[in-house]
Amino acid sequence: MRRFWSVLFLLVPILGVATFVAAPYYNIWFPKDVSEHGRTIDNLFMFILWLTGIVFVATELTLFYFMWKYDEKSTKTPVKFSHGSHALELVWTILPAATLLFIAIYQMEAWASAKMQPPDMKPLVEVTGRQFNWDFRYPGPDNELYTEDDIVRTDGKLYLPVNEDVLLRITSLDVLHSFFLPNLRMKQDVIPGMQQSMWFKATDTGGYDIVCAELCGWGHYKMKGRVYFLPREKYEMKLEEMRREQNTMRAEIPEEDDE
Amino acid sequence: MSDHEHGHAPQLEYQEALPISNGKTFMWLFLSTEIMFFAALIGTYIVLRFGAIAWPSTHDVHLAEIWGATNTFVLICSSVSIVLALEAAKKNNAASARAWMVLTLVLGFVFLGIKMYEYNAKFSHGVYPQHPHSQIYEKPDVYYAQAVRIRLNSLAAELKNNTERTPEQDAQLEVVDDITQKYVVPAETAMRDDPDSPAGRVKIFEMADAIYPRASVHEHHGGSHAAKSRQGKFSLAATEVEGEAGDHSGHSVSGHFVGLNDEHPWLKLPIMIPGGNMWASTYFLVTGFHAIHVIVGLICFVVLLGMTLDRTKAGIIENVGLYWHFVDLVWIFLFPILYLF
Amino acid sequence: MSTVTSDTHSAAHGEHAHASSFLKTYVFSLDHKIIGLQFLFSTLIWFFVGGMLALGIRWQLAFPWRPMPILGNLLATAEGGQIAPEVYTMLVTMHATVMIFFVIIPVLAGAFGNFLIPLMIGADDMAVPFLNMASYWVMWPAFIVMGMSFFVEGGASQGGWTAYPPFALTQGDGQFLWLIGLTLVGISSMMGSVNYMTTIIQMRAPGMTMFRLPMTIWAMFITAILQAFALPVLTAAGFMQLMDLKMGTGFFIPEGWTTNNNPMASGGGQPLLWQHLFWFYSHPAVYIMILPAMGMVSDILSTFSRKPLFGYKPMVYSISGIAGLGFIVWGHHMFVSGMNPMLGMTFMVSTMMIALPSAIKTFNWLGTMWGGKIQFTTPMLFAIAFVSMFIIGGLSGIFMAATPIDIFIHDTYYIVAHFHYVLFSGTAMAVFGGIYYWFPKMFGRMMNESLGKIHFTLTFVLMNCVFFPMHILGMVGFPRRLADPYHYETFRNLLPLNQFISYCAFALVASQVFFVLNFFGSMFFGPRAGRNPWKANGLEWQAPSPPGHGNFDFQPVIYRGPYEYGSPEVEEDYYPQTQPPPDKQEDVSQ
Ligand code: HEA
Ligand code: HEA
Ligand code: CUA
Ligand SMILES: [Cu+2]
Repeated sequence: MRRFWSVLFLLVPILGVATFVAAPYYNIWFPKDVSEHGRTIDNLFMFILWLTGIVFVATELTLFYFMWKYDEKSTKTPVKFSHGSHALELVWTILPAATLLFIAIYQMEAWASAKMQPPDMKPLVEVTGRQFNWDFRYPGPDNELYTEDDIVRTDGKLYLPVNEDVLLRITSLDVLHSFFLPNLRMKQDVIPGMQQSMWFKATDTGGYDIVCAELCGWGHYKMKGRVYFLPREKYEMKLEEMRREQNTMRAEIPEEDDE
Repeated sequence: MSDHEHGHAPQLEYQEALPISNGKTFMWLFLSTEIMFFAALIGTYIVLRFGAIAWPSTHDVHLAEIWGATNTFVLICSSVSIVLALEAAKKNNAASARAWMVLTLVLGFVFLGIKMYEYNAKFSHGVYPQHPHSQIYEKPDVYYAQAVRIRLNSLAAELKNNTERTPEQDAQLEVVDDITQKYVVPAETAMRDDPDSPAGRVKIFEMADAIYPRASVHEHHGGSHAAKSRQGKFSLAATEVEGEAGDHSGHSVSGHFVGLNDEHPWLKLPIMIPGGNMWASTYFLVTGFHAIHVIVGLICFVVLLGMTLDRTKAGIIENVGLYWHFVDLVWIFLFPILYLF
Repeated sequence: MSTVTSDTHSAAHGEHAHASSFLKTYVFSLDHKIIGLQFLFSTLIWFFVGGMLALGIRWQLAFPWRPMPILGNLLATAEGGQIAPEVYTMLVTMHATVMIFFVIIPVLAGAFGNFLIPLMIGADDMAVPFLNMASYWVMWPAFIVMGMSFFVEGGASQGGWTAYPPFALTQGDGQFLWLIGLTLVGISSMMGSVNYMTTIIQMRAPGMTMFRLPMTIWAMFITAILQAFALPVLTAAGFMQLMDLKMGTGFFIPEGWTTNNNPMASGGGQPLLWQHLFWFYSHPAVYIMILPAMGMVSDILSTFSRKPLFGYKPMVYSISGIAGLGFIVWGHHMFVSGMNPMLGMTFMVSTMMIALPSAIKTFNWLGTMWGGKIQFTTPMLFAIAFVSMFIIGGLSGIFMAATPIDIFIHDTYYIVAHFHYVLFSGTAMAVFGGIYYWFPKMFGRMMNESLGKIHFTLTFVLMNCVFFPMHILGMVGFPRRLADPYHYETFRNLLPLNQFISYCAFALVASQVFFVLNFFGSMFFGPRAGRNPWKANGLEWQAPSPPGHGNFDFQPVIYRGPYEYGSPEVEEDYYPQTQPPPDKQEDVSQ
């Protein structure tokens, strides 16, 4: 019983680390990364995980050690009558300060490339969030949004080319939503009346989830979409197909995007 | 501290701290929280104003510097008079303290009175912060034209249904018909013929200007009606009242222009002020919360007047005075940002 | 000098036991101790309510759409106990609202602040007792208003505790009542905080200089300052949202906004403005929710390590530093909100910097235990748990402060893990520790140590089982506030883990029985505590247990700081603040 408490606290770093070590084996880990800067973000995450992991283990072990060593029953020497130490204070101010500043500066580039330096191109798609669906508007052959030949899709499926820079224009019709692509490590809140952009470069084909990550009402949980990354030829075929579909549909329902 | 008659607790002594009473410390700290409250309100005003696409000029919305300035002056005077009340109370001169307090109270009421007059000037023009009452439209678009049409139609219907019309009402009906023919119909036709052309918008704009001529439009475009017509862009129906003593005396000082709504107050047509709704929201927000603070101050004055304001009450007067200075100070910030810029 | 009168244990109250003054003594009492206890009891009740709401959340996440036993019928009658998606959001909103505004903030400032401030600084009461009482009595109306919102048309607010417009503005009366309740809570905090500041500045016992104040008091003082400067902003923002909701103004309504396909006439407002105003308050508020806990933990750690607090002044400065920096980091909640990315960068730097004072505090706590003689009492265990858990919660904050990473983990369970680690595993542990520690002073009796340790062990183990796996959930991208995430391909395989979390959460709530039993049992049957059961230095331990009206039966005079444990100047290993130094013994003993 005497050492029970210290050991209980020792479990914190042990099980804590164990959780992070075991999780990938249960396949509960980052979702598959399919974008270029997703790798950057994962690496930054792992970098901070290692760094804070070391701080975590070190501090928790120190805590354990002090509990073990300075237990009242086993300590016979009088306590250290110390009110602190200037030297130590300085050390543990400057060290973390340097670390933190380093982390901050280290992150900036990734942030800038993800949110501040859009590729020089016209948006491929305009994404509009509304309760509770994602609508997509492709500019069509003339590459201009809001012209006659736009393709408007409300089935929640987004088609994009793979291995190419992609620029999306995203906005909202009613309340806040958040356009979240877990597999691309990308997220952007959308605000009615404001235009946001998102850009990335997918590195793998396939279909991936689009999640709404900002509370937007009772249907928030089902505001789901899928994004498909296709090779260029297939992508253009898909666009062509959608255009044809739209033309047939327009004959029946004049204004498709008005629901 | 507390006035318990029992208990073994000795009257405690305290470490020397700030050389002011607890009450005054409390009041200072309380005021610092109030500063943050108004900082948030004023900050909101600034953010919204500079983020807005359009913002009405002061004269567009019937803000007259003269009243703002008068109110500033009134509040400053009241700040002086409450200090004099405090001085008198410190000298144990209750009667004189009382007199100064009464003056402060009266000045406070004058402030509120002017404020009410100003609010009223806005309400009477359909400038309200809230929806069912607000007559403000932001753009000269179809919605606006439609709203004008609806109001005119309902006026006309009401008048026509009235079988025993007075001659006055006959005249009113005529006015309604005139306006419909002169402004609404051309605008509607223009819009219908070519919805995307600027011609319709210009027509609606002209209608809006006739109903409620905005000072900024006229001032910015060279002042006088004549100059306007020569430019040939718009022909503005408004007549300037400035200098014309007599009718609409209330507005003449503020350089207000007379529109249909002023000529015929019963019309109450929807008006068009770009940015007007947001302006109304923020204006009533900041001045409203300031007015509430003034009212709280006046209540304190009334309570104080129920007491004999001798030396023992100096502390209370001082605290109330601090509060009153704060209210004054807030207004000194509000006046320039609302009236002058 | 400690020979003054026998323990008077509320003699003052006993004299007044006749019926007419019962109300005055125990209900509408002006006595800070009674008000503090009223706050404590009320917040425990609300804690229970908040915990029940959490169970509702956990039920849905473990067994989506399955009717919930017992609670389900109470909350969602229409669906036969099944939690509808909108009810789920209400549960989340109200869980957070209750926990933050009715549990953590009032238990720290209201209960401990009220009870401890005058006792620890040597005052006979608060500076303005009446406002103190008022600050308690607006809490209940606030809670009732919030509770009522479940029964109005449309139900309680679904806006989340952050109430982001324009969605929050589409909520009907539930949102209205939520805002009213929030404003009332704000008024309560306002009255409290100005009162605390005045009391701490003006009513310290002779010799109690600012740098002899215990950390608890310093923390309460800085917290009060934070409240005083941050809260009015939320109040103002709340009024604006109220006006948007009910009067048709448009502060937060964007240009050209439509509801139900009707264009709103007013426009030109800015939804992001709310977020700025809200977080301008609510980021300082998260420090409001932890600083007093840090203060209490510092006191407890020092007492049971039988050793002076390591680095008293650095601790004071770091608390002030946290408070100061706390005002310039709010943007870290808005990295992906659409705010200017340049601002995001500056907020990242300031947020990183705020970890610095926290680091100083953490290392000083470790330094306090270093070379001590640690007594593993229940309060001490909770205090150590606070340190251990705060490290986890704080470190996860670093991930989110890093903007690129936050793009991914924002609004995922990583955030949920982070704030439960600082709030529940952190602050709530300190609150438990504080209750075990000051219980003898509050009720004159000791709590049961064995039950306390069972309670501690179960809570400690289970809460880690509940909240630690949430980090992993967050790494998968599992979003918050989602009634049923399992229909996403990405999150489908997370159900078993969520079930594990939920089972542990049920057990966690159940294990609080040991606390409830101990608390109420000890109030009546616990062994009597003397004035100073822990042999602690603080001034409060020199007053009778429980202290009578006016707190002290002698005039306290302070000779030193509160952490002189193991001083070589005296025989015993503690050295109360009021004990005169050996050479001065005579002049006070009259
Ligand atoms: C008590 C409450 C509390 C506390 C103390 C904190 C502390 C911190 N918080 Fe937390 N936070 C919340 C409560 C709290 N937070 C809540 C409730 C939310 C969510 C709100 C919502 O959206 O609903 C939130 C959300 C939140 C976000 C937004 C995330 C998002 O929505 O995307 C961020 C981002 O930066 C953040 C960061 C931090 C940081 C950097 C600290 C720092 O202060 C932590 C500092 C501490 C340490 C770092 C550990 C100890 C130090 C060491 C051991 C030294 C060595 C360390 C290093 C060198 C790294 N928090
Ligand atoms: C202080 C704050 C606090 C506390 C203590 C808790 C405690 C708990 N919280 Fe929560 N939580 C929040 C603050 C808090 N939470 C916030 C701010 C959010 C965000 C909301 C939003 O997104 O808007 C949130 C959201 C949140 C979610 C995310 C929901 C979602 O996004 O979909 C979940 C999910 O598991 C959760 C679970 C829990 C659990 C299982 C507990 C358990 O630890 C609860 C255990 C309860 C007890 C242990 C109480 C026992 C009772 C007593 C000890 C008193 C007994 C006395 C008497 C009976 C007199 N909480
Ligand atoms: Cu859209 Cu959540
Ligand atoms: Cu924060």
